[in-house]
Amino acid sequence: MTLSAPILQASDWAFIAENAEFLVAGLWVTIKLTLASILLGFLLGFPAGAIEVYGRGPVKWAVETTGVVIRGIPIVVILVYIAFVLSVTNDPFWAATLGLGLRGGAYQSQVFRGAFQSVSSGQMEAARAIGLTRLQAIRHVSVPQALRRSVPGFQNEFTIVLKDTSVALVVGLSELLTRGNDLYLQPRGGSAVLEVFLLISAIYFVLTFVTNRSLDLLNDYYAIPGGNDT
Amino acid sequence: MDRTFSSDIDRRSYLKLVGAGGAVGMMGTAGCLGGGDGGEGETTTTEGDDTETEDGGNGDMEVTEIVPGTAPGFAPFEFKEGDELVGFDIDLTTAVVENMDGYELGEWKEFEFSSLIPALTSENIDLIAAAMTINDERKQTISFSDPYYEADQSVLVRADGEFAPGSLDDLNGHPVGAQKGTTGESIVQEQVPDATYRAYDNYVLAVRDLENGNVDAVVLDKPVAENFASQNAVEVAFIEETGEQYGLGVRQDSEFIDALNEGLAAVQEDGTYEEIVNKWFGQE
Repeated sequence: MTLSAPILQASDWAFIAENAEFLVAGLWVTIKLTLASILLGFLLGFPAGAIEVYGRGPVKWAVETTGVVIRGIPIVVILVYIAFVLSVTNDPFWAATLGLGLRGGAYQSQVFRGAFQSVSSGQMEAARAIGLTRLQAIRHVSVPQALRRSVPGFQNEFTIVLKDTSVALVVGLSELLTRGNDLYLQPRGGSAVLEVFLLISAIYFVLTFVTNRSLDLLNDYYAIPGGNDT
Repeated sequence: MDRTFSSDIDRRSYLKLVGAGGAVGMMGTAGCLGGGDGGEGETTTTEGDDTETEDGGNGDMEVTEIVPGTAPGFAPFEFKEGDELVGFDIDLTTAVVENMDGYELGEWKEFEFSSLIPALTSENIDLIAAAMTINDERKQTISFSDPYYEADQSVLVRADGEFAPGSLDDLNGHPVGAQKGTTGESIVQEQVPDATYRAYDNYVLAVRDLENGNVDAVVLDKPVAENFASQNAVEVAFIEETGEQYGLGVRQDSEFIDALNEGLAAVQEDGTYEEIVNKWFGQE
């Protein structure tokens, strides 16, 4: 790319600074949407992962099939379907939360399925041998270990959801990236394209970094002492 | 707002929407699509009733709220100024609805351009005001008001460049840019077969690339091109007359299309329209 003008101009940064509040409002939407979607995804994905490992019959089949279907559909289509076909809600935030949460649930179910499968079957047998029911054994033996072992996969999911919140533009939700686009699409902001992209990338990076380091600390804190090494 | 949920989506509608969804993510805001914008999602949601009743002192007066939708980022028709949505379409729609007895304008909703038609048909919004060109393809899905603006296409070039085309033929052999899904794109692809076409998500990126020398010309709507020319190192080389007409989009079963046209006629007759044109285009 040849450039006839300096990329990073002070006047463009001044323009962005003037509109900082506008961007911060979008950042807040991004954070809320990420948290709400992750939470909904967890509430759907954790039991789904457990059912895929310990379930049986039609329930297990239904959970697996639903997961495969949702994971196979692009997120944009899921959002468009929820907002414009099923018209579940007229509020773009909840439409986006539902779409990202459903998709997140389908992904998280695989994170937790892997974590549950990593708990050796001998432990279940031992639990049953000391008189626990199957549900009690899952709850008291498998779940605590699976939750701890799922952190690395969960980190990945968190990062994906954070960045995919920008897709919510299709249902009319004005989050961080949309507001960045709105900024440079203004008559006064046309020359600030690269500055806007740079700033928004930096914000996403900081959010991702902070989240991942926090989850790392959580992982260290709750690590099973020596449990993963043997 | 009362809503009834519909589950009677037929297969064809679903497939159309899936197609729409795929395109939706790819599209930026566009002012005038030549066709194939991916926004023709056709749903069969049942009627919504936006009517609320206000008890006046002398009896009941029904006021129906019209929720308008637009795709900001197409100055001077619609764009953001800080948190505020402004532009020609915004002012015009506000004035038109003020002239419609029994109707009031609700809060604006913002979408990507290609999401506007699905949002309208699914009753997320009741009206599209987004410099939308009236064309037969869109008319299969939605209805339009009477035309409220006529626009031609412009060819933008660098202000300090040596390239000075006088007709579309002169663009052959050159890299030419346009926004995806717009009339400008159709013109380049259909009428300048030997140009190297470069597609952009939005016109700001196309104009940036023009200034940077990566394309030699950009084809786009005349009023938007003039807006760019007034603020950037680019100029209009020539106008390609296409006579496109913009209309306000409504659902095909809309009850207020007649009132909308009457409101539009009223603002054109009482001089309000001219005031709004002068405010945003500074001429005509």
